[in-house]
Amino acid sequence: MSVTHHPSPELLAGFAAGTLDAGEHLVVAVHASGCSACRRLLRAVEGIGGSTLEAVEPAAMKAGAFEAVMAKLDRSPPQPSVPADSLTDDELPEILRHYRIGRRRWVAPGVSMRPIELPGPSRSRAFLLSSNPGTHMLEHTHTGSELTCVLRGSFSHEGGRFGAGDFDFGDETLDHQPTVGDGEPCLCLVAMTGDLRINGFFGRLISPFVRL
Amino acid sequence: MEWATLIGRVADGDREAFRRLFEHFAPRVKGLMLKTGASSDDAEEIAQETLLAVWRKAAQFDPVSAGAAAWIYTIARNLRIDQVRRAARTGAVDHDAELDYLVDPAEPADDVMARNDEAGRIATALSSLSEEQSMAIRLSFIEERPHPEIADFLGIPLGTVKSRIRLAMNRLRALLDETK
Repeated sequence: MSVTHHPSPELLAGFAAGTLDAGEHLVVAVHASGCSACRRLLRAVEGIGGSTLEAVEPAAMKAGAFEAVMAKLDRSPPQPSVPADSLTDDELPEILRHYRIGRRRWVAPGVSMRPIELPGPSRSRAFLLSSNPGTHMLEHTHTGSELTCVLRGSFSHEGGRFGAGDFDFGDETLDHQPTVGDGEPCLCLVAMTGDLRINGFFGRLISPFVRL
Repeated sequence: MEWATLIGRVADGDREAFRRLFEHFAPRVKGLMLKTGASSDDAEEIAQETLLAVWRKAAQFDPVSAGAAAWIYTIARNLRIDQVRRAARTGAVDHDAELDYLVDPAEPADDVMARNDEAGRIATALSSLSEEQSMAIRLSFIEERPHPEIADFLGIPLGTVKSRIRLAMNRLRALLDETK
């Protein structure tokens, strides 16, 4: 497996700076967890964050701040590094195991989604989208932006073939017609912005997908 | 003494080392948070929480892969993400924004050579980035300054700010790729 499609550098920098909304943040995180080139770029931007921190004009802490923190230390001795959460769901990347994922709903024949509960408000909503092999989606455009990371399987559109680990970005300027690859179902993590009316949400989810 | 060494001592429970880290970094975290638009109370809280996390997580700090300031920056950033999320959603459970994207299961964590190599690559790329490009990334992403301010600061027309930032990020990516 080799990752060939990456988030834009601006998106990665926004991630490193912590300014993406929760849904976008999650999709970029999952891509980066499987992409050493993007992790390297994130590290580099964090390095710039570190040098910014060193160069910034210090702001005086409140009187007693140090003592307040010291008082808390007594209740929390240094902890040795602990291994990551050992919940096992082999189907999903490590990061997603920290999220509550809702029940599967069918949105069209061969296409189902599971909503992901995001920590805090987010312009985008996140969900797992699973499509059967060979599914064709009707030509569609986006009213907002759509960030996708392929977890398993593949799909193709004018932009190329997207396999496991690949990242895809679509917005209102894009008019495309993805086709799911043959062989195995395609599982994607998606963060999508658009209007937030719940009826419109499901309506729009259902409408673009049709199995031919 | 280097900050990384002090963090190592904090991992052993050295309070004097912690005091020195606090005095240096807490006001800087607060300063950076104020710069990115946090209120004075929020900035103070993040600065305190960041140093508390430095104490708690000191044993996890890996001086080979990250500089002390960059590590503390990421802690502050994650706490800020959490704070913003909490503020907008009352009564929500705490969620750790510190997604573990930094750990690559494919790279053995104890392979010091590989991590050293990786850190060297990043350092080389950062030092090869021009001052102007590094500044564009800093102002836009780390300090979250509005584009007119960046134009002002860099002395370039407003219309070219976006392309300047993109250029800087693309150059950084190219530098990281070519040092392989």
